[in-house]
Amino acid sequence: MGILMTEPKARCLILACGNTLRSDDGVGPALAAWAEERFRQEPEVRVISRQQWTPDLAEEIAAVDSVLFVDASLKPPPGRVRLIPVSSRVDTPETASHHLTPNQLLALTRSLYKQIKSHAMLLTVGVSSTELGETFSAPVEAALPRARGILEKAVLRFLGK
Amino acid sequence: MSQTITIDPVTRLEGHGKITIQLNGQGEVENAHFHVTQVRGFERFSEGRPFYEMPSLMARICGICPVSHLIASAKACEAIMSVRIPHTAAQLRRMLNLAQMVQSHALSFFYLASPDLLLGMEADPRVRNILGLAAAKPELGRAGIGLRRFGQSIIELLGDKRIHPGWVIPGGVTEPLSPEKRDKILAMIPEAYAGIDMALDAYKQIADRFKPEIEVFANFPSNYMSLISEEEAIDFTDGALRLIDSTGAVIEDGITAARFAEVIGEAVENYSYTKFAYYKPLGYPDGSYRVGPLARLNIVKHMSTPKAEKQLAEFKQLASGPVSSSFHYHHARLVEMLYGIEKIEEILADSRILDKHVRATAGVNRLEGAGQAEAPRGVLHHHYKVDENGKITWANLVIATGQNNNAMNRGVEQAARHYVKDGRFTEGILNRVEAVIRTFDPCLSCSTHAFGQMPLEISLLSADGEVVDRLVR
Repeated sequence: MGILMTEPKARCLILACGNTLRSDDGVGPALAAWAEERFRQEPEVRVISRQQWTPDLAEEIAAVDSVLFVDASLKPPPGRVRLIPVSSRVDTPETASHHLTPNQLLALTRSLYKQIKSHAMLLTVGVSSTELGETFSAPVEAALPRARGILEKAVLRFLGK
Repeated sequence: MSQTITIDPVTRLEGHGKITIQLNGQGEVENAHFHVTQVRGFERFSEGRPFYEMPSLMARICGICPVSHLIASAKACEAIMSVRIPHTAAQLRRMLNLAQMVQSHALSFFYLASPDLLLGMEADPRVRNILGLAAAKPELGRAGIGLRRFGQSIIELLGDKRIHPGWVIPGGVTEPLSPEKRDKILAMIPEAYAGIDMALDAYKQIADRFKPEIEVFANFPSNYMSLISEEEAIDFTDGALRLIDSTGAVIEDGITAARFAEVIGEAVENYSYTKFAYYKPLGYPDGSYRVGPLARLNIVKHMSTPKAEKQLAEFKQLASGPVSSSFHYHHARLVEMLYGIEKIEEILADSRILDKHVRATAGVNRLEGAGQAEAPRGVLHHHYKVDENGKITWANLVIATGQNNNAMNRGVEQAARHYVKDGRFTEGILNRVEAVIRTFDPCLSCSTHAFGQMPLEISLLSADGEVVDRLVR
């Protein structure tokens, strides 16, 4: 595996997705930035934030024990924070070549690297606006402390702490 | 009653496009078009900006080939400054452009084309994708990811970012290469060779299965254009353009960036936002030509690196003159990836590669400048005019996808005429029509200078224009 791969000590990967120029869609990268700071002294945690989850990330997932996906979601009510398990069962037959779902990424990791993660969870925050903008709506802004708390707890649990 | 088939969106592309196939009353193909349906406007909103901002602005056109835009733009700015950049800066830019080519070609071959090539054009579309490929050929999937990482890691090491690095500036680059970064790149090379060797072997084993597709996938005589070095070798960053005809005879040579606008024009069709480039002396559409990997390998005499040289000789055996089927773009892409890895290794052995002098400085010395480079998909040309304060007053970009536009449309029509009979078509047939476009690996965001997704649509229209059937993915 290449030189920019996950640090050998990393056991937990936080994988965020979102566009910081699309208002509430930037909640994933914002939580990733917070996690980067929170776990700065923790070599077992690696944080990656992207605008899309591309197939290349399977290699990063293969290198760790646990993965926490973090994303915005249009389905739940704005501001609702959810943490759900992710399996490698492919939920949708349609597969974009440039953007994969967490399930598809895990399935790809399993096929390519024969790896099944001991923990894989998806943290989502319900959003209300994905229009052009660099600020969050009031419900998302209010949900951030709770989302950070859930993220922190999940990562510590992954690490057995 | 005539009908029209619409493929919308066309999938596994860089950008958003659709295909329409118009049938006549007998169910035969009357015509077919590839439409690029997004529009951007970079040329217009750059007006009024200082010229030295242009490389960073123009790189935002694309997330796949921003490096080519950086380089073509910086070269146009350097023509305005009238400077020649230091040798080491030129070599570092060359390496950056090659790294981008490797990662972009890997994406095209492994993620976009391989589901068709390795699983079959008729495979169930639910598995004819990257996940199906990974399940069937995991070793190739890993090789593809490894080659993408190789290219992107070099871009990140040199420019600090995997996408849109700001390292290339008018006059050179911002930082020299450190010994540590050089050694990190060198350490990645063995794995990259292993990946491309595996891909070349796999492709050669399956290529013969696609003889029917090779016959009708944009397989026709055409002109070709690419950069070529003074030694007649492939060159992605420097050199001048050569245009050849379908027999391989040189139509025009030594087309520098400054002369580009003299000889290349752009036509407009009412069904696409992408323009259609052509060689002015032959007019439009006779002066249309192809660019990109197929054109480059058809034009060059040498690759200048030993492993790729051997592969070029084998590639040229595919035809007695220029290789005319666009299906062979896939093969050409693999040869170029091998070249890219070899050339990067060679550049890193340059005794001056760690020199600290990597930037020339100057102000506005000319009010007009043009620059060109080879993007993964073909020739990229940037042309700017500035006022005496260096503010952009006019900009024009001629993109590879626009230069392939006529050939893509002819290719879609050729495949549609071959496969669509009596107004009947299957998903596998429509996939083949889409796959013609994928051979070119067009970048639609670049070509319209948008924002959008990757999807494709095929529509079947009646004689009076009514949509009879539509396939949307």
